[in-house]
Amino acid sequence: MGQSTILDVSNLTHDFGDVVALENLSLQVPAGITGLVGANGAGKTTMLRLMLGLLHPTSGSMEVLGHDPQTEPLAVRARIGYMPEVECLPKDQTAADFVSYAAQLAGIPAREAKRRSSETLFLVGLEEERFRFLGDFSTGMQQRVKLAQAIVHDPDLLLLDEPASGLDPEGRVQMLQLIRRLGEFDINVIVSSHVLTDIEETCNWVVMLDGGKLLRSGPLEGFEQLGTVLVEVLDDADVVAARLRSKGFGATVEGQRFVVGPGDETLERAIVEATAAASSGLVRMVRGSASLEDLFLREEDSQ
Amino acid sequence: MTDQVIFDRGYRTYDGPRTGPSGARKAVYKDGIRRVLGLRRKAWLKIIPWGLLSVGLIAAAVFIGIHWAIGNIEESLREGVPTYGGLFDFYSAISLLFMTLAGPLLLIPDRSRGVLSIYFSRPLTVDGYLTSKVAAFVTVVGAIYIVPQIVLHIGLALIASEGFLPYMGDNLDILWKVPVTTIAFIALNGAIVFVLSAVIDRTGIAAAAFFGLLTAGGGIAARVAEASFPGARWASLLAFDQHPRIIRDALFEDTVEYAAEQAGFGVWTSVAVVLVVVVFAIVIVRWRYRRLA
Repeated sequence: MGQSTILDVSNLTHDFGDVVALENLSLQVPAGITGLVGANGAGKTTMLRLMLGLLHPTSGSMEVLGHDPQTEPLAVRARIGYMPEVECLPKDQTAADFVSYAAQLAGIPAREAKRRSSETLFLVGLEEERFRFLGDFSTGMQQRVKLAQAIVHDPDLLLLDEPASGLDPEGRVQMLQLIRRLGEFDINVIVSSHVLTDIEETCNWVVMLDGGKLLRSGPLEGFEQLGTVLVEVLDDADVVAARLRSKGFGATVEGQRFVVGPGDETLERAIVEATAAASSGLVRMVRGSASLEDLFLREEDSQ
Repeated sequence: MTDQVIFDRGYRTYDGPRTGPSGARKAVYKDGIRRVLGLRRKAWLKIIPWGLLSVGLIAAAVFIGIHWAIGNIEESLREGVPTYGGLFDFYSAISLLFMTLAGPLLLIPDRSRGVLSIYFSRPLTVDGYLTSKVAAFVTVVGAIYIVPQIVLHIGLALIASEGFLPYMGDNLDILWKVPVTTIAFIALNGAIVFVLSAVIDRTGIAAAAFFGLLTAGGGIAARVAEASFPGARWASLLAFDQHPRIIRDALFEDTVEYAAEQAGFGVWTSVAVVLVVVVFAIVIVRWRYRRLA
């Protein structure tokens, strides 16, 4: 991953007439595997299409791999692999032929394209089925072919639009494993998904969108640090909780236990200080990692 | 017992040459030819294109045989057997069937199956994509017109009483008349089938619309042109199938009068109609695909 920042967006707005798909977005995405999360209609696909230069922003600017997709769309697309969410496979071609064709479309010479087609289909687990016609493939196999065509030309950046869409639980797990493996091969990936657990399992950076607005962009570790802390004290739990509330933390009391947070690493220090100030004793203090879904809903509520 | 090792081949990076947009256009062109001819597709997809190509070549061989057989009886009788210009009608029928198949096949499946999203995520512009499709269409349909004519030309030269080279020398004009006529047929028919294939999302319906417009449509327009209301003669220009024939007849000095000629229009009007249809097709197809991209 030679480039430190793969996506640089500045004050980006895109509308379809009266409908504002993306509103005044500014963010940077580093190399690695990034999750682009949001509910349906949040603007994820619009964002991907802007990155490919297929849409032009109403205002603002964007750089993908150091290129402006509006002025250099072909330069950007030559370095990107794209796996669309929608059906995109010709039923009358074999997997090997189609993936080879996809490589040639990206500028790989024909002979090398054939070789890479076989290797890539092997990587996604379709080596046995590569000479079968795509019309005979199951949904899971088609998703793998879609992934294969996106990576066959050795892109610097891979855009995956809902890659696990339509897959059964086993297929979903296998697809996520494949995406994680791509990261091990130093391929930058941006995964668009509305399934937050998928993002949690695969990504190291998360961009949250809601209604075209940026909720949050940051490392996944940072999100985890914003979890709550379960506290148990010897006595006067209400008093300790009240002291924490006065410092701006939320606290819910159940007997001698209470849940405080969310908060970052300063939360633990505040709990110790509040317990000491209340002349109580600390029995235990356990940080629970908030799920991405909790955080998404919380961010959404706070907007 | 030897140790068994499973090697994970992993992912191989690529540092070789990349051909860029020109490579992408070439790939679309080659795929277009394969698709139209059913190559690397299921067997039944090969039947119609290769059947039509075979009929074209066999017909050329049969005409050469007829010329040879009649020439052996009485050389002057050969003048009554159709040659280059006359055979265009026959090859036009074959080509019409072929274009009915090829036009929708080249454009519609990419759209209806969502493959355009793959094309336009690659270094390929809308114009590059369409140009490559047109090139594939012209190559294959042009071959149907030209190859049998070449076979016919060489065959007639081989059986010519004056000898091969003198025949070739006497018929040098064929070398430009046949290509020009072919361009007229392909330009008009191709433009129409591309417009229909760009706006209709079902291959069967697009094929039927094209075939109907070129067969029944021409007849209807010719009938309307014969009516007595003011301006009826202009309807003759809508008999699209007849314009390439008018151009062919002008080149090969044939005497059949088509509806537009009966309505008082000359060959240059037919040339203008072909050009207008082609320009109209370029505008519509580009507009449609720019919206899709």
